[in-house]
Amino acid sequence: MANSLPLPQTISAQKVDRASAEALSIPWYVWCCMVSVLSSVIGIEWDIAWHKSIGRDSFWTPAHVLIYLSGILAGIACGYLILSTTFQKRSPLRDASVSMWGFRGPLGAFICAWGGVAMIASAPFDNWWHNSYGLDVKILSPPHVLLALGMTGIRFGTLVMAVAEMNRAQGLYRAKLERVLFFAAVFVMAMTVGIFQEDTNRVFMHGATFYMIIMFAAPIVISMVAWVSDNRWAATITVAMSTAVHLAFVWILPLVPAEPKLGPVYRQVTHLVPPDFPLLLIVPAVVFDLVRQRIGTWGQWKQAAALGAAFLLSFLAVQWPFADLLMSPASRNRIFETTNYPYAIPPTSPWVRNVFVPTEHSSAEFWVRMAMALGAAILMTRIGMAWGEWMRRIRR
Amino acid sequence: MKMAFRALALLLLAAAQPLSAHVGSPDVYYEGDAGPYHLFVTVRMPQVIPGVAEIQVRAESGDVQAIRIVPLRLTGPGSNLAPTPDLLEVSKDDPQFFTGTLWLMESGALQVRIMAEGAKGKGELSVPVASFAQRTLPMQKSLAGLLLLLMLLLTVGAISIAGAGAREASLEPGMTPGPANVRRSRIAMTVTVILVLGLLYVGKSWWGVEDTSYQRRVNFYKPPRAETTLENGNRLVIRAKGEDSRWTDRINMGRVLPDHNHLMHLFLIALPGMDRMWHLHPERLQEGAFAVDLPSMPAGPYQVFADIVDERGFPWTLVGTIELPQVEGKPLAGDDSSWSGAPLVTTQQGSNTSQLPDSARIVWERGSSPLKSNVAMDFKFRVEGKDGKPVEDMEPYMGMAGHAEFVRSDFTVFAHVHPSGSIPMASLELAQAGLMSDPSAMPAGMAMAGTAPSGPLPGVVAFPYGFPQPGDYRIFVQVKRAGQVETGVFDAQVE
Repeated sequence: MANSLPLPQTISAQKVDRASAEALSIPWYVWCCMVSVLSSVIGIEWDIAWHKSIGRDSFWTPAHVLIYLSGILAGIACGYLILSTTFQKRSPLRDASVSMWGFRGPLGAFICAWGGVAMIASAPFDNWWHNSYGLDVKILSPPHVLLALGMTGIRFGTLVMAVAEMNRAQGLYRAKLERVLFFAAVFVMAMTVGIFQEDTNRVFMHGATFYMIIMFAAPIVISMVAWVSDNRWAATITVAMSTAVHLAFVWILPLVPAEPKLGPVYRQVTHLVPPDFPLLLIVPAVVFDLVRQRIGTWGQWKQAAALGAAFLLSFLAVQWPFADLLMSPASRNRIFETTNYPYAIPPTSPWVRNVFVPTEHSSAEFWVRMAMALGAAILMTRIGMAWGEWMRRIRR
Repeated sequence: MKMAFRALALLLLAAAQPLSAHVGSPDVYYEGDAGPYHLFVTVRMPQVIPGVAEIQVRAESGDVQAIRIVPLRLTGPGSNLAPTPDLLEVSKDDPQFFTGTLWLMESGALQVRIMAEGAKGKGELSVPVASFAQRTLPMQKSLAGLLLLLMLLLTVGAISIAGAGAREASLEPGMTPGPANVRRSRIAMTVTVILVLGLLYVGKSWWGVEDTSYQRRVNFYKPPRAETTLENGNRLVIRAKGEDSRWTDRINMGRVLPDHNHLMHLFLIALPGMDRMWHLHPERLQEGAFAVDLPSMPAGPYQVFADIVDERGFPWTLVGTIELPQVEGKPLAGDDSSWSGAPLVTTQQGSNTSQLPDSARIVWERGSSPLKSNVAMDFKFRVEGKDGKPVEDMEPYMGMAGHAEFVRSDFTVFAHVHPSGSIPMASLELAQAGLMSDPSAMPAGMAMAGTAPSGPLPGVVAFPYGFPQPGDYRIFVQVKRAGQVETGVFDAQVE
């Protein structure tokens, strides 16, 4: 019975000649999800800069609107896609869909819709949290984590949707979809690394905890994308794109005039405060690709061990001395923007005084955490590989 | 029997400790001059910090055109840089009444700077505010239900998505899942159930940690306990102990600021009817404790309120109770004072007249309308001689035209108020120091050190204040006449 149904557009494309396959364009629902991801990326960076320089003045700031628009757009687009796939018997995606609760749709659409619901659910939760515990001026709070889970859901859903489409495609169309894969992976990693930005400030860069956190957050996405993509420089491309986007925020946001609307003000702010200079993850990403190209025949765990260790060691080799530069007067310029202090940071803060904050209180504790960082790098690389392998297999 | 009653009264009062610091009266009332403009300011403090304070300003004259407000720290870093001012809105019905809101982002000693502009030019004043979280608000049932529903939807959704993904996502289009796919799906769902439950557990624990940490902040700002001991039969020693263990480390009792010439203002009020009251001024001991030689006092239970201002300008009121034996002490001297009379009238509106020892009296010009809670009022008292004319022998009492203490019948509210309002003078002096640009700004009724008026004061004294909650209150009004401190007492029922 299933064989009698019309084949999806992408499956049909496999059967026609290469030229017509190359002419296929990214489907509307993938575009919608990409716009949703972009909306949340700009919204979040803008919102954090807004809180650092202006402070919250109402719920309806443009940055907040962009964030919640992301959830609404993904929710509506994927909701419509699921409903149309379920109820239109001639839907081209019907055969390339999964079923859940009687509905049909691409797996990525369900994940995106879940993300949209999580984002929207976080709004009343967050509002209650502010009313009960005061407006939290920190990123890591339970309602913010729910919001982050929602945003990650949309980004991951977009990734799954693009990869399922990519795995059914070939030629130029496949190449186009691979770009969507990189796009989504960049922002999944921005989420996993960015959520910890309060703990990865430069003052912590000479402590083992900082490296442990990064090893939990970055290698999983980098190895996933490397295992999904056919591109031998997939890790490098992903991190290069991520670094470029991050640098764009670092350099563009300060061009926007802004001044605090809340007090006390510890530091006069005249423009939007940008994020910190990006971590030098590009170096371990290049090392990751170089090592991966040479150990393809090894067993999975051996590869994970080599890649994880290479990732940590190369990151340590560049980030540790780079932290010294970030602490020095040489970095206090428009390139590194290390004077990007929010208005509410008092001058007594180690951040403003440019002093490292020890996160471990003995050398034994330091080395235990470093060992945990190595373990995390290897484990998360292996999980990322398994995730990537699963992603290579998905078709719906 | 009498002792049993006293013990019961002490027990009940210990159980009825105030739920918020500064003893149940967090809002700030202030009267002062912003350059040429005389303003009455009310700051309704938020229940949580960071939170939104409501600001109300009434201008005495009609020539104020605009009022702007900014929050700053009272002292140190953050006290000299201001955010963009917020413009208060003018009431449509009353052009001299301005209202607005202000985010208070930090706990501690802050100030609200008020900038008035009008026909006579510009003027500024600063209102110190004690910013602290008072409580955690509970979640409404409807919201809890909605969030629970969304949590269930997201939980079941995540499990179902994992199951659907494991069952069908890897299948070529058009193929139907086989038993192996179904088995894989069940495994994926089981793993997801464990992960989601783990996530929910971690989330709940984290929420608990955040809640505890917030509660500790709330406790930190609760009124510290006044731990009292009686030595040598008449020497009362007072030590402060915060509700939170960090209080003693952070609040240095050795560096409290003098508040109109005294480091501590101690009030001993007889329990339960407030029929006696002493206003004393203990001296600081070396180890941060305070001590005072008590005057002669009858035995009985007493409520203790002790006002101090820490080095940052944050006011604290130490609260406690003590059972005193008969004390044979020294006569009152200096600024110390006492009063005794009838117990609090709790069943009806008290008299608006309080007789003074020399046939003079204090008359409360209260008007005929009922007293309501949370309404800013000007409590005006006229001190008149036996001929009914205002007395002419009033003089500053500790630099002020008068002092008033508002005490609720259950002792959950205690406010020590001056003609400039509910703010301690020590905090006001810090705020004045920050207003270098406008030395003309001066709170009402305040005579700064060295500038005390040489002649007698008018026989009228007024206190801006608002009852924080309904109930029965006793108001002690203290003035100084011809070198003698005199106390008038008024009872009030507040709706």
